[in-house]
Amino acid sequence: MDYFLDLVISGLMVGALYGIIAMGFAMIYKATGVVNFAQGEVLMLVAYIAYTLTTLIDMPFWLLIPATIMIGMIVGLIVEFLFIRPMIGEPVFATVMVTIGLAVFIRSLVVLLWDAFPHEFVTSLSEQVIEISGIRLYPSQIVAFITYLVLMAAFWSFFRYSRIGIAMRAVANKETVALLMGIRIKHVYAVAWALSSIIAGIAGVLFASIYDLDPTISAMGLNAFPAAILGGLDSVLGSGFGGLIIGVVENLTGGYLSTGLKSVSGFVVIILVLMVRPYGLFGEPEIERV
Amino acid sequence: MSGAPPRGRETDPASTTAEGMTATSSALLELTNVQIFYDKAIEAVRDVSLSVKKGSLVALLGANGAGKTTVLKAISGILFPEDGTVEGGTIEFDGKNIAAMEPDEIVRSGIVLVPEGRQLFDTLTVEENLIMGGYTTTQRNAAEALERIYDMFPALTGRRHSVSGYLSGGEQQMVALGRALMSKPKLLMLDEPTLGLAPQIIEEIFSTISALVREEGTTVLLVEQNAQLALSVADYGYIMENGRVVLDDTPERLLRNDDICEFYLGFSDAGARKNMRDVKHYKRRKRWLS
Repeated sequence: MDYFLDLVISGLMVGALYGIIAMGFAMIYKATGVVNFAQGEVLMLVAYIAYTLTTLIDMPFWLLIPATIMIGMIVGLIVEFLFIRPMIGEPVFATVMVTIGLAVFIRSLVVLLWDAFPHEFVTSLSEQVIEISGIRLYPSQIVAFITYLVLMAAFWSFFRYSRIGIAMRAVANKETVALLMGIRIKHVYAVAWALSSIIAGIAGVLFASIYDLDPTISAMGLNAFPAAILGGLDSVLGSGFGGLIIGVVENLTGGYLSTGLKSVSGFVVIILVLMVRPYGLFGEPEIERV
Repeated sequence: MSGAPPRGRETDPASTTAEGMTATSSALLELTNVQIFYDKAIEAVRDVSLSVKKGSLVALLGANGAGKTTVLKAISGILFPEDGTVEGGTIEFDGKNIAAMEPDEIVRSGIVLVPEGRQLFDTLTVEENLIMGGYTTTQRNAAEALERIYDMFPALTGRRHSVSGYLSGGEQQMVALGRALMSKPKLLMLDEPTLGLAPQIIEEIFSTISALVREEGTTVLLVEQNAQLALSVADYGYIMENGRVVLDDTPERLLRNDDICEFYLGFSDAGARKNMRDVKHYKRRKRWLS
């Protein structure tokens, strides 16, 4: 039983990271209708820039987070402006292809600018294992989970109460009508990319501080993808929640069956779920009212 | 038929249409020889000129496919998602050419379109829909406008947190109208606001529209299938056919025009209702132009 609980808890911790990344997928998909396959690479880029920053200046952890937010925002806006904005009005598929190209580009760029070796991402968080009623956790894992909860709450209120958040949902619902309201679609796209990069960056920094920083970190994007599909690509909070499920399922599979099946299990889960609910657990089927 | 049908632009010296006459100083919206293409190849609107005086209610009538909706979309600047372009002529609003403006600039300058079929953001609540209508105004103005809309449509007050996709047709039309009024437009354009509504609701909508014009001084451009109803409230009427304005006159004279009566209202000279087959036959037999 203890083993089971251990697996579930550490699964939740990994799942929190998946959830954060999945929210980034959903954010862009919801606003622009594009699946951003460069999500993991944006994460990687932001994490590397943040890493360089920590090697240059001695930075306490509480300062690292706002710094990551700034870096994420700038990266997101630059990527949107250079690669995505020229694609507005082109078929969605073309834009998706651009994100795939972008993924390869950023991966190479990072190896070129930094290197392909693992680096230790040192944060001021203690490395001391904390034991809470028999379950052993690293402080950074707890920080990751708290960040996840904070982000979930933040996005919930963002989409409900802020004007730009509601506008994002409006654009997702009926783009032409959103134009008629005077909503600037380009602004909405830019905000979506910025927010998505910010949360990807946060996930990247958290992940790198738990493990190490090396170019394989970009695979986190693909690992989190099932979470977004599971929760429903058009539901940001649903995707966030999907992360927890995928995290736990992966850990249980790894613990009881074999570690090799670990990353496959997430995809098995989404295939099963999509057979029953093709729009994901929390995605919205179209309201057709004739 | 008794004699050739009169051509509006010849019989009414007050109308400022085709011949490029200068607009009367009170014209809020002035279209001059507007030509609209879809896909650069299909001519949807040819040489349309119309003018809407400040504080007036102008009806734009015509059969399906006459190009009425295309004209409204051109004014709002939302032809581009359908590959439509204004190729010739000018669209002037308040003395400025708005033909090349972005949709959000057009909204900001005071033109709002209520699209055909209401087009609510059906996944958003009533209040969120209304908030989107006030997207271009400041937060404080939007809050005031919100109260004004609830005063205007008390039925919506109890539904403010309902998802708008599940409202009745009449309530949806109220939301659509309220949403458009949130930004206090100078020119309100309505595309078939009574489509598919019960007669009682239609009456309510029309009394709201005429109250807006008579009491609040809003200028309205109304597209309607129900010609008789539209002409009963309008100050001036235009009739389109096959992408052209074929007639324009005061409602009294339009209603006295035998052709209009035959074509749109289904009355014969004697005032007896003709059956649909006769009307259809008549339609084939008679065209004003071409």
